[in-house]
Amino acid sequence: MPAPGFVPPPPGTYTLERIMAAPDGEVLGLDGRPQRLGAFTHERITVLGFIYTTCVDPDGCPRAYQVFDAVHEAVAAAPALRQRVRLVTLSFDPARDTPSTMRRYAGSRSRPGPVPWLFLTTRSARELMPLLEGFGQDIRYTTDRSSGAPRRELAHVLKVFLIDPAGFVREIYSSEFLYPRTVLNDIETLVLEERAR
Amino acid sequence: MLMPHRFRNAIALVLTCGILAVAAVAARADETCNSPYVTKLIKGQEDYVYVWALGVDGLGDGSDKLVTVDVNPKSKTYGKVLNSVSVGTRGEAHHMGFTDDRRFIWAGGLAEPKIYVFDIGTDPGKPKLVKTIGDMADKTGYLGPHTYYAMPGRMLVQALSNTQDKGGRTGMALYNNAGEFVASYPMPTDGGGDGYGYDLAVNPRKNVLLTSSFTGYDNYMRPLGEVVKDQEAMKRFGNTMVVWDLKAMKPKMVLAVPGTPLEIRWSPKQGDDWAITATALTSKLWLVKQNKGEWQAKEVATIGDPAKIPLPVDISITRDGKGLWVNTFMDGTTRYFDLSNPEAPKETYQKVTGKQVNMISQSWDGRRVYITSSLLANWDKGGADNEQFLRGFRWNGKELTPAFEVDFAKEKLGRAHHMKLGSKSLRSASTTQ
Repeated sequence: MPAPGFVPPPPGTYTLERIMAAPDGEVLGLDGRPQRLGAFTHERITVLGFIYTTCVDPDGCPRAYQVFDAVHEAVAAAPALRQRVRLVTLSFDPARDTPSTMRRYAGSRSRPGPVPWLFLTTRSARELMPLLEGFGQDIRYTTDRSSGAPRRELAHVLKVFLIDPAGFVREIYSSEFLYPRTVLNDIETLVLEERAR
Repeated sequence: MLMPHRFRNAIALVLTCGILAVAAVAARADETCNSPYVTKLIKGQEDYVYVWALGVDGLGDGSDKLVTVDVNPKSKTYGKVLNSVSVGTRGEAHHMGFTDDRRFIWAGGLAEPKIYVFDIGTDPGKPKLVKTIGDMADKTGYLGPHTYYAMPGRMLVQALSNTQDKGGRTGMALYNNAGEFVASYPMPTDGGGDGYGYDLAVNPRKNVLLTSSFTGYDNYMRPLGEVVKDQEAMKRFGNTMVVWDLKAMKPKMVLAVPGTPLEIRWSPKQGDDWAITATALTSKLWLVKQNKGEWQAKEVATIGDPAKIPLPVDISITRDGKGLWVNTFMDGTTRYFDLSNPEAPKETYQKVTGKQVNMISQSWDGRRVYITSSLLANWDKGGADNEQFLRGFRWNGKELTPAFEVDFAKEKLGRAHHMKLGSKSLRSASTTQ
């Protein structure tokens, strides 16, 4: 995993602002049962990212997956964190990313353990859109003319959301700041904030 | 911010049909000069220049407005105004910025604590005013929002003044992309800080936010002739830049940069971790870079004859960090500096491009250059020298050649100030289906 080109400030020495409330809506788990997303964005510190399983851009969804893997492993190895954190991977391609597709995508990562990693999708774009809108996660339909022949693309800005146990988004990582070290520092900052109350 | 129904429907169609989906990550730089978090650069021919124009009493409706100009040479309406959106008031329209997803432009004026949000994603050729954010003064006490800098999911706004004494003490306000206030960060007044603000620019690779310093409402809303004769007023200009820990949003050190440093440009070239700025009152270029891990600012070049106060205003850096355009307001001159050695920039070209010139923007490939005329309502020249325009030029590396001009006075649009580039290809899904 690439490391940041700077030394991030130590956990607890900075404030993560309450950027916005995480939205709620209906999602599907790997068993296909409808559930509320809010059940997976409260009580624990949540690291949530949107993906689609056919994404191949190395700086897009696969990059987020790598970071999630590293964070998952590090949190599982930290007794002070493992009972306080969960990861959520949510698809924004409900037409193709069915629960069974998400199950294959998740592989062994979805197995029960001290650090839950939920793989979720939605039944339809109608149910997905309010979630995307609520998170401010854009999707843009564009025409790429750089290669000569126009090529239509569905593009999105890579964003990963850090959500506190009360359900507030406290950090949004784009690719420039999406490093396991920074995410872990922020998780520890939220834990320290909780302890100080 | 609500998503138009047509957009939702189109996305539903896209996802259902399973059309090729490709992720795009935030790019390193915009058309050479914007936030590195702004996505989808226009690397080919831009279709539009959006001009944020100050209203002029008696000209049209007299209000500030966002003007869309067709700049695609293949278009039948090349060089023509396509439309304008009035905000219904006159508040010293100044700068604007894209949100990180480039669906919206945030714009504001220096005379009021208001921010206008325009939707440019639904129809890039026809921006629409969709929101007015009016709580900045109540939440922060700041006045005169200036720089709108996209951060992931939010917008960092640098103000110039405050509502209490209307002096230069100010700060930054953070909003989420829905326009809800999140936090404020005062400019430092200790450790050498003067509390003033102007521009801000981020280097994510170094976790550094850099800010510069101008002056307050009590100066920038007065006629320039009065200000320069008022010795006390002339003492109330910024002389510093501040290096911030971006992640912590805390000032780390104050750099002495005398003469009012304005626009800040990090080199867009990967591996370059330096920034450049121009000082308005002393007419110098300053380089900000690390030396043995310590951020330092040093004077590296002179712009024109400082004794004549040419007043360098806007700067625009090339995508490779090898060249810099500098507009000097008083002599109406556009200058090009070779930045191959940023420690010793050399002026290699100059041309008078207007009787007064302020902002300058360039296309990604650097072949097209756009210039506007207005600095501030009370600082613009008078009489025949008060040209108000958007001028487009072609640049072949040796000569700027005029391509088109929009006369903002004749078109009753006002004073032409900040520019952003737009493209039909950035149309949201709703209008391509």
